[in-house]
Amino acid sequence: MGLRKMCRGSLMSKIIIGRYIPGDSLVYKMDPRGKLLITILFILAIFLANNPITYAIITFFCFLAIIATGLKARVFWNGVKPLIGLIFFTSLLQLFFMTGGHVFWHWWIFSISSYGVENAIYIFIRFTLIILISTVMTVTTMPLEIADAMEWLLKPLKIFKVPVDKIALVISIALRFVPTLFDETLKIMNAQRSRGADFNDGGLIKRAKAIAPILIPLFIHSLETAIDLSTAMESRGYRGSAGRTKYRVLNWSKYDLISLAYFILLVGLLLIFRTH
Amino acid sequence: MNTRKILQTDLQQMVFLGMVVAMKIILGQISFGSTTVKIGLGFVGSVLLGYLFGPFWGTIGGGISDLIASAIFGNQGGFFIGFTLTAMAGPLIYALFLYNKPVKIWRIIASTILVTIIVNIGMNTLWLHIMYGLNFNALLVQRLPKEMIMPWIQMIVVYFVLQAVSRVKIKK
Repeated sequence: MGLRKMCRGSLMSKIIIGRYIPGDSLVYKMDPRGKLLITILFILAIFLANNPITYAIITFFCFLAIIATGLKARVFWNGVKPLIGLIFFTSLLQLFFMTGGHVFWHWWIFSISSYGVENAIYIFIRFTLIILISTVMTVTTMPLEIADAMEWLLKPLKIFKVPVDKIALVISIALRFVPTLFDETLKIMNAQRSRGADFNDGGLIKRAKAIAPILIPLFIHSLETAIDLSTAMESRGYRGSAGRTKYRVLNWSKYDLISLAYFILLVGLLLIFRTH
Repeated sequence: MNTRKILQTDLQQMVFLGMVVAMKIILGQISFGSTTVKIGLGFVGSVLLGYLFGPFWGTIGGGISDLIASAIFGNQGGFFIGFTLTAMAGPLIYALFLYNKPVKIWRIIASTILVTIIVNIGMNTLWLHIMYGLNFNALLVQRLPKEMIMPWIQMIVVYFVLQAVSRVKIKK
């Protein structure tokens, strides 16, 4: 059983921070809500690109954003690296299945055409850009801030009677307990190992069975924590989310205006130069 | 069901939902199996959400788990609302088959197959198609082999997990 990021340093602190890398550049000064919105909009804007000029423009803007983070290129390469094989494979498959334009090579259902080559390159760029811009977001923003921003974005759903307050509570509890439960999981696994449990051996059914000895203690631990935590919350005066104040407040900054202007410029350029 | 009786108040339910969402995120980071067939455990979290919290809160929990996982670990392949919908659909289907029902083999088989077809093959392929403009058939060629093997393994795991979870009683 392989736990990603398992053995590197103190796990707890690793996860609380997540992929966040401290810094002090323009992007760091933005409001997380602004960053999250721009990230989502940027990914949507990529759909507007449909010819070489627009792809060049959006690539340029993406690299501007990367430079604005002031982080080393290695950080972003690490974001793309685990997926590079998949991206190549997908682009290749697309190359063989897209038809149209000048045909260079043809065999059975596979063919390489000018249209296919063009498309494979576009897909490759799209994939990479989306990963890069998401990396900009997660690397420059703490998970807690991202969660606050998500909570803010969910607020309009109140109109549809979605229990946004409860969702916010669940989000903050889950975020808080991911590192704790992660540590707990490792502890349980080690405890079971010390009594002879083997998670990497045996047939399929044996391995499936081996999951229960990890999951059940984890489950019971969560259940007990939930009861204890809710008792503690109630005894401190928690009576539902209505009528409460906020301690962690997000503030819009002038950098959000700058990035908004930057984004509007990007969309404007894309709309002008795309093939209609 | 036992867990229902243990958690008496609404707040306890919500806090426990938060814990199970955290569990799903952690399970999503764990995989087992050989190098050729790697099986992530995220689906166990989906099953738990559906089984314990029903269609409504299970679905919401699934959505939250996707949002938080992408906040902490970064979203492989970028933020896209489609994959959040995917994360919501899994627990929903499991809930429709397993919530407040006795653990039966046919329920597990039916729900796993439905999740595989609707969520993994259908929705996820559709998102990749929409998001990257990929050719649908090429995507299916790429994804089908894995999706033919996975559900059978998942069923076995789900069976053992639910058997165990349905027996959980807390003595305080």
